[in-house]
Amino acid sequence: MKLAAVVTVYRKYSHAQHIVDRFLDGYGWNGEYHRPPHELAGLYVDQVGADDLSKERAARHPSLTIYPTIREALTLGGDRLAVDGVILVGEHGDYPKTEKGQVQYPRYQFFQQIVDVYRASGRSVPLFNDKHLSWNWVWAEEMYQTAHTMKFALMAGSSLPVTWRVPLFEMPIGAKIREAVCVCYGGVDSYDFHGLESIQCLVERRKGGESGVKWLEAYRGERFWQAMTEGVWSRELVQAALCRSHTLTSPREGFNDLMPTLDQMKQIVKDPVAYSYEHNDGLRCTMLLMSGLVRDFNFAARLDNPSRIVSTQLYLPMPDGRTTLANFFSPLAYNIEQLFATGRAPYPLERTLLTTGLTASGVDSLHAAGARQETPHLAIRYQPSGESTFERT
Amino acid sequence: MLTRREFLGTAAALPLAAAASRPPVRIAVITTIYKYLSHGQHMGDRFLVGYPYAGEWHQPNVKVVSLYVDQKPEGDLSAARANEFGFRVYPTIAEALCLGGGKLACDAVLIIGEHGEYPDNEKGQKLYPRYEFFQQCVGVFKASGRTAPVYNDKHLSYSFEKARAMVDTSKKLGFPMLGGSSLPVTWRLPDLEMPFGAHIEDAVMVGAGGSDAMDFHALEALQCMVERRHGGETGVKAVQMLTGNEVWKAVSKDLLSAALSRSDTPLGLSELDGRVQDLVGDGVLPGLVKHPAAYIIEYRDGFRATMLMLDGAVKDFNFAARVRESDLISTQFFLTPAPNVTYSACLVQKIEEMFTTGRAPYPIERTLLTSGILESCLDSKMRNSVRLETPALSVAYHPPAESQRCRV
Repeated sequence: MKLAAVVTVYRKYSHAQHIVDRFLDGYGWNGEYHRPPHELAGLYVDQVGADDLSKERAARHPSLTIYPTIREALTLGGDRLAVDGVILVGEHGDYPKTEKGQVQYPRYQFFQQIVDVYRASGRSVPLFNDKHLSWNWVWAEEMYQTAHTMKFALMAGSSLPVTWRVPLFEMPIGAKIREAVCVCYGGVDSYDFHGLESIQCLVERRKGGESGVKWLEAYRGERFWQAMTEGVWSRELVQAALCRSHTLTSPREGFNDLMPTLDQMKQIVKDPVAYSYEHNDGLRCTMLLMSGLVRDFNFAARLDNPSRIVSTQLYLPMPDGRTTLANFFSPLAYNIEQLFATGRAPYPLERTLLTTGLTASGVDSLHAAGARQETPHLAIRYQPSGESTFERT
Repeated sequence: MLTRREFLGTAAALPLAAAASRPPVRIAVITTIYKYLSHGQHMGDRFLVGYPYAGEWHQPNVKVVSLYVDQKPEGDLSAARANEFGFRVYPTIAEALCLGGGKLACDAVLIIGEHGEYPDNEKGQKLYPRYEFFQQCVGVFKASGRTAPVYNDKHLSYSFEKARAMVDTSKKLGFPMLGGSSLPVTWRLPDLEMPFGAHIEDAVMVGAGGSDAMDFHALEALQCMVERRHGGETGVKAVQMLTGNEVWKAVSKDLLSAALSRSDTPLGLSELDGRVQDLVGDGVLPGLVKHPAAYIIEYRDGFRATMLMLDGAVKDFNFAARVRESDLISTQFFLTPAPNVTYSACLVQKIEEMFTTGRAPYPIERTLLTSGILESCLDSKMRNSVRLETPALSVAYHPPAESQRCRV
């Protein structure tokens, strides 16, 4: 089976490097060194800088050819689609920002060029799109509809839903969830998406399945702290999530692992951001970016019947000094392999359509000084995949 | 003369629930140094400020009542902690245990003999005074006619003879004792335990970070897995430590590959440009590891295991075994990042359990045997990697069937 990859940049620690490298060089999986059975034959790189690695990769893998256009990468220089699967990685690289601060990664444009080849060839093949579908909701919805109309499997999203959980935890199917939070870190229109996917992959398993989201409200700065104090989201759940962190910043010199008070958190977190939103079935969720306080993704939820708090860390082995390999891309690569092997996305695209919309609404709300965004377009209903798809073996 | 019965009477086992409503356990902390990120600080502090456990900030039902620090280097925090948390730093261990009085006045002793300036012996072992600290505590126990549970951090002593004497003393006087590394009790990726009673055919542990600090951790991680084999632990018949190119012949390639498939820290080309590497299959290990070492352990029941220190290849701790019932199994012992080192909270929870219930959750014999394996391997290295018979290491024991790894 031949594959093509269409990426923005291919440099050290870019998403393209993490994902495409695993198809070229293999990766540790399930206790052995696993080499995907696919042949990565065509590669398009949109921006080639001094730190580019694609040429090194092509030199070391003679079956890989770099093409100057997306069309040629998919046709392998011929007239018709010549691969059986496509990997689209539109993350990292220098692209202009919108007035709201969103980086205009050209995922939609890449996608359009890919489906042009599908149409011209009268054949469609499974496609993986890294991260959210697009920064632009209208484009994202169009991508979703196109895949549906043309009947090809489209898989998308973050590696958070598929990485290790510490401790091992899966939301029971049919759980009655009252409220959920994810306390994480990073920037707007970036790691917020990962935090939203962390929540969504767990809460979509609740009783009745996913019902979509009614409204979203973003908080920043003093408004964030006020909301935290007033209990707009549960401080108890934030505390439970923070107890799962391995990187909690100590509020006091000389202490290495200490839970900060709310006042101390205000000193530690310079630019807190929260997206609080309500699902159509009444579930309340809040994604909190608390950069400075943690460098990991921590989930907590209150369940009913019996009433209890559950929590876990969605663990990213992060090569920021902690590791040398971003091995959370291994379970992602494995799930992409399943997409190509079965012709079906291992988990619902609707999850990422919803988190794409939530990310855009979060940006909109922040841009509107925290005004509540009604989200009738996010009445996205779906059922989770029956089987868990995160790494646990 | 005190009877064994009188000693035993001091540490009656209590269920945890009953223990919670009791007065706090009074702890004496005996440590080499108390400085930011020393074991003394990061473990001692957890008894002062609590720690994350099972999704909550757990405040143990204990009260640190005294502290002894052997050295006060720059950055010493002992006086600041004593001042803030209302206890005294005493100039001697005996005074710390007696709170300045004539008799034992605490309910538990935490000995952290790790970090600080101490000489090395010719085997490269740091001569931490754990045995000496322990003996002074026992001196107080004997003089007071009462004992208390003792936790001893890491190996019991650089010397197996001293370690043996420590364990014998605890048995004779009848006080519970816990020791060792946090690796056996931290999370595992994946969350895997050796099936209890498994017929293990071969096992390999890969570690990094040098001797004799990190090799102990790797050996104890190995031991906590293989002690669960069919028949329980029988003790060690012989050891051999290989260095140089001989190391690569000492271990099965598929086991090594399985262990390294769990690593998140391959060095070399992964550091250079982020690429994934099949460290075994690509044949890059000999180039990456300038000073490899293999610690080969022959057990008395015929089982054999190998621990490899591969500095230069990886920076994490990974295990693999061939098990008759399930073929290859492997996992990473997850050492969470500094400065929080939350894995030490997993260990402190076990220590708290012993302090509160008077029962050690796993046998001190594990740590005793590991202490002996380490010393004997270093002896083998000193003697040109000769295979050394180890009749003294006939330490047999039965581990608990219930896993002690962190799963919550």
